[in-house]
Amino acid sequence: MNTRQQLSANGPRDPVPGLAVFPLAGRQGVRAAGEVGLTTRAIWEGVLEQAVREDEDVYYLELSGVTFVDVAGAGALAAAAGQLSDGRRFVVNRPPPALRRTLDLLWPGQRGIEVSAS
Amino acid sequence: MTTAVTEPFGPLDPFVHPAFFYRDEQDYLDGTLPFVREGLEAGEPVAVAVPGKNLVLIRDALGDDAAAVRLLDMREAGRNPGRIIPGVLRAFADAQPAGRRVRIIGEPVWAGRSDAEYPACAQHEALINAAFRGRTATILCPYDVARLPEHVVADAYATHPTVIHPGSRAARDSDAYAPEDVVTRYNVPLPPVQEALTFAFDSDSLPHARHVAVGEGARLGLVGVKLDDLALATAELTTNSVVHGGGSGVLRVWAENGYVVCEVRDDGHLGDVLAGRRPVPRDQRGGRGVLLVNLIADLVRLHRSDSGTTVRCWFAR
Repeated sequence: MNTRQQLSANGPRDPVPGLAVFPLAGRQGVRAAGEVGLTTRAIWEGVLEQAVREDEDVYYLELSGVTFVDVAGAGALAAAAGQLSDGRRFVVNRPPPALRRTLDLLWPGQRGIEVSAS
Repeated sequence: MTTAVTEPFGPLDPFVHPAFFYRDEQDYLDGTLPFVREGLEAGEPVAVAVPGKNLVLIRDALGDDAAAVRLLDMREAGRNPGRIIPGVLRAFADAQPAGRRVRIIGEPVWAGRSDAEYPACAQHEALINAAFRGRTATILCPYDVARLPEHVVADAYATHPTVIHPGSRAARDSDAYAPEDVVTRYNVPLPPVQEALTFAFDSDSLPHARHVAVGEGARLGLVGVKLDDLALATAELTTNSVVHGGGSGVLRVWAENGYVVCEVRDDGHLGDVLAGRRPVPRDQRGGRGVLLVNLIADLVRLHRSDSGTTVRCWFAR
């Protein structure tokens, strides 16, 4: 096979993108930056487990700095939303397109998730 | 063949899955309209998922009754044959009250399906039997015998336990019914590719694999949702390789006939013939990666061999 370009996982590369999480000021929730995938899944799930244990009606996930969420990451959010007590919800601000797409296709109308573009 | 591959094809009852052969529009309406009307009269949920031109025929002939039928253009909803079971057939059937028979007309094969698509169509037709066995449903599959090649009609005898001939409404047993053979026969190595961007990945380079695919997809002309979908598919397939497929794999991306194609190959063995075709219960964690790929790609082809698994997916530019 001719390859136009042969890249290797063993060659020089940029640092692996991580996931950084910061508490929000003035409201309950976090701002996250980076990517949600296999390598950062534990961080993301930790955030969601903590969120389920909180007591405010709304838990904000500010995701404008998140560039990608994989299906397992979307599934963790859907599962956490399903565990929220009645009347509680996640407000997901400015999620990456992949998260919207996955939620629409695999968890349409999931209780406890409100997606916000602002 | 392993037990895991053959086991899903047991007795179908009460599931009914006839192929319906037609030669022209009159045959088509004579075979499909009574099927729909009998369902409506019995209070059964009815869906029709056929190519747009045939959908218009049925819709117009039904008149006001069309409002009670779920109508889908199979050229859109079923462009990827791997999407049809989870995204069309089971999506409709599973949403109906339990115990009531569900009627669906599903036409996944039409003249003009490409050589790349057809093996996935034949496997899909065979796998309907595994996905619906034991369920109270009837799926009638029209075949345009005037325009489809002979081998396609021969395959319909192998993927359907019964067959209805033009001018007849009676289903006759197919002597050639052998769905597991069809799944195996079309499990063929995917056509070689002359030139492709190639990236070997492992757990440390998973995010890079996705970035490489997205960069190449954009360079080859994918934009917007299609580019997002390429990112999702690449992430799910490469993650599967790392978690279930031996810890590493090879990603390739290239352009082909108006599509960007992404392929992931690894050393894993995918035993489940219905992988990515079952709807997943809402409360189940995990197991949705290949399902999502089937829902978003324009075509998915899979090759399972002793040395590993290759998944190839097409995204229209």
